[in-house]
Amino acid sequence: MKKIAIGLYVAVTLALMVWGYYQAIYVAPEDAQQGEIFRIIFYHVPSASVAFLFFAISLCGSIGYLAFRHGNQAWAQISDAWALAGAEVGVVFCTVVLTTGPLWGRVAWGIWWTWDARLTTTLVLWLIYVSYLLLRRFAAGPQMQTLAAVLGIFGALDVPIVYMSNRWWRTQHPSPVFGGGEGSGMAPAMVSVLMWNMLAWFVWGLFILGLRFVVERKQQKIVAAEQQLALDATI
Amino acid sequence: MDHPNPHQFLVAAYCVTWAIQLGYVAWLTFKWRAQKRAKG
Repeated sequence: MKKIAIGLYVAVTLALMVWGYYQAIYVAPEDAQQGEIFRIIFYHVPSASVAFLFFAISLCGSIGYLAFRHGNQAWAQISDAWALAGAEVGVVFCTVVLTTGPLWGRVAWGIWWTWDARLTTTLVLWLIYVSYLLLRRFAAGPQMQTLAAVLGIFGALDVPIVYMSNRWWRTQHPSPVFGGGEGSGMAPAMVSVLMWNMLAWFVWGLFILGLRFVVERKQQKIVAAEQQLALDATI
Repeated sequence: MDHPNPHQFLVAAYCVTWAIQLGYVAWLTFKWRAQKRAKG
């Protein structure tokens, strides 16, 4: 039953990805000003949205770990696994944003990169979560999980700053397409394509987030079993 | 590179996206299989 459910989920995900790609390349109208290169938006924006969501999951996991670490160890470990999964998959999506963005910028602006508020705060966000992953990779013990949780909480504070950056400051990056006030918005034919791709990347993202969570939970159990074995050997 | 070809850049962006995503899934699958082997 579990295998059928997973197989069905994978099939729906793949169908959505193919449909999203078809919509982005063949159905969405060409942008009047930017032309074909505008189609990058259908991968760039959903990737940023999914990255923000997963950093929020990492924030919840980090808070959960700090809340449960002295009381309920089982819940603390589950929270920690969610914190790690959210941060790692979030970094994957944020990497997509930071590579597709310059490719788009080179054609639209004539430059690969500029140190404006949106781009810089996104790079800082990526660096914070990469440092979070490096901390988890190279430090060990329960202290590491606490330090990582604190770093995860501080990292998440950058998410609203990234989101608001092109509202608070004048940036090279375009103004917000949605909720950006007067003059913002998108042609309805493009909105539906963006929504399909948003859905497809969310479903895909949740799949790899779940996979990462399962792998981390297994890792925690292996480490706990090894520690128990070492403890038994010393008695 | 003075006049970048938009089509090439669009293809590059889509390919890079999938390379990153599938590369990560491959690494995750490798890690998962290694765990299974260790458990066995």
